[in-house]
Amino acid sequence: MSLDFQQVQDQVRQLGETALERQRDLDKKRELADQLLEKFARQFDFLQQRVEQAAHNDPTLRCALPLSPKVAAPEALNAAFPTPPLPRKATILAADGSQISPDRHAEVQYCLINVGTIQMNLNSAEPPRPIIFSKLLYNQELFTTHGMITDATLALMRDTNERTKLADLAENLEKPVITFTDGQMELMVSAGEESTTGFQKYLEDYRLALRRLHQQGVIVSGYLEKPFSSPLARLLEVASAPDEKLAKIQEYHPLQGVMDFGIFSALLKPGERSAIFSLRSPSAKFYKDELTLHFFYLNVGRPGRHWVARIDIPAWVARDADQVDVLQAVLIDQCRIMGGRFYPYLLHRAHETAVVTFEDKEQVTQMIVLELRRRGAVVGERSQKQEAKETAGRTRYK
Amino acid sequence: MTANCTRIEIGRLLRAGTAGFVVGCRVSQVEAPSFGALVSVPQNAGYEIFGLVHDIHIDDDGLVRQLVTAEGVQEGVIADNRVNRNVPLEISVLAVGFKQAGGIFHMLPPRPPLSLDQIFLCGESEIRQFTSAGRFGYFRHVLRAQELPVGELLAAHIQQAQAAHQHAGNSTWTAAATQELITLLRDDYPTLMAVLSALRDVVALRDADQE
Repeated sequence: MSLDFQQVQDQVRQLGETALERQRDLDKKRELADQLLEKFARQFDFLQQRVEQAAHNDPTLRCALPLSPKVAAPEALNAAFPTPPLPRKATILAADGSQISPDRHAEVQYCLINVGTIQMNLNSAEPPRPIIFSKLLYNQELFTTHGMITDATLALMRDTNERTKLADLAENLEKPVITFTDGQMELMVSAGEESTTGFQKYLEDYRLALRRLHQQGVIVSGYLEKPFSSPLARLLEVASAPDEKLAKIQEYHPLQGVMDFGIFSALLKPGERSAIFSLRSPSAKFYKDELTLHFFYLNVGRPGRHWVARIDIPAWVARDADQVDVLQAVLIDQCRIMGGRFYPYLLHRAHETAVVTFEDKEQVTQMIVLELRRRGAVVGERSQKQEAKETAGRTRYK
Repeated sequence: MTANCTRIEIGRLLRAGTAGFVVGCRVSQVEAPSFGALVSVPQNAGYEIFGLVHDIHIDDDGLVRQLVTAEGVQEGVIADNRVNRNVPLEISVLAVGFKQAGGIFHMLPPRPPLSLDQIFLCGESEIRQFTSAGRFGYFRHVLRAQELPVGELLAAHIQQAQAAHQHAGNSTWTAAATQELITLLRDDYPTLMAVLSALRDVVALRDADQE
């Protein structure tokens, strides 16, 4: 037992003592958010100006924006759109990725990117087609100009590979083609890690894949569950901020704790989507014109058990009402396949196809060790720490 | 390997012991084997292991459990889970004999089959060859397996063997097999009754077929 449960228990009790008070506080903020949503629902120009002013003071501002008229007619912030009918035919492609990171405690150094894709034809009895792409990185591939490859670089590589494989597979498929990936569409890297991860190179490849998908007329989306960020709540904060607070907008959070999915859980009926928003974020400059990032919220739950996900889409999807309808209908259909689990079936299957387990990693390590030994090459040793960790536990005299 | 190309492959070996083995196959392959069927695992140099299918087992997992609760599972999703997903159907086989140097022996095999060996369903000529060799010595392996539904397993096997022999004009095999079982079980009345009760259903089924 490595935890002092007595200490933790005391802190859990303190947490419980303030829980109801925090709940009441959050309810008040939710009420305020609902009022602000109603108030600013159609003030599109004002919201645009307000965000521009705030972003001038805080370039890191991340919030929702109403649709730009250049893309499509803006929709009221509190609008709800019912599920359109499913298309008779559609090809759905989902991709997910996982990786084996370099392990300095292991006897050999390598890493691996695994991308699992799965293709399903709507209303077809044919089994979906899973495809796996596994790429082993070794020798010089393990190093960047800043040293050993990091988890952040591998994550960029994985995300870029996911999108590229989708672009490869989408060619020559029967339209409409819809692609899902898990998580947001923005290629993310922590501030300050752009140069050490080679972010620009991966961003170029990523945008190239997106442009290919655009040229093929593919309906591209990212499916995001329970995101930490709440861009709509942040927009409402910016919109309602007194002028004197705009200068220090990064310190102004009257709706702190209010989550977008909470707002839309109350607003949207099952199957309904919210208005489409564009995303104002520091990385928005990387995604211009047809690649500009947009999103909407979708209630994928059932009556009595609402469940709201955020769906990221590029501008070329946002501007085409038919594509948005197809995406909404297909996502609702996918989320109903697994009964009480409101998650797209094909994304779950893509995850199953892509996931690399600890046992898989051990197997790959042993394959490499055997190959090196077979050829008489020197094989390293595992670290003393790793060996010590795997020392057998206590045994009983029999 | 002595695998005959006309045989039906039902799967590959997952794990084995001297007394039996377990075969894995995709759910979509399940049409081929049936309870009581005689199967063989060809090895090198004419060595071949025979066994009787005594259990066909379908496991679930979290996703299948989830899908069961959904309304109207789509055809494509059913096909995905049967064809693509790594949830093998397991077929348990009781070892009942082996073939070596052209001879059939109703003894436990000297060596079990190995991982991923192919398992084939025996055709009628092989069933006749195996069941006619010696004097039903393989029955003792079945009767010893008290944890199995012995009566049902023997009845299913005899039904399939009976059909193979009858197609070759031999109508006496079933009577001889039944007589041997009565002899073997003469001191075990409860098992004898269970076996004869199951065999009665086989005979009734055969009579109905002939009518």
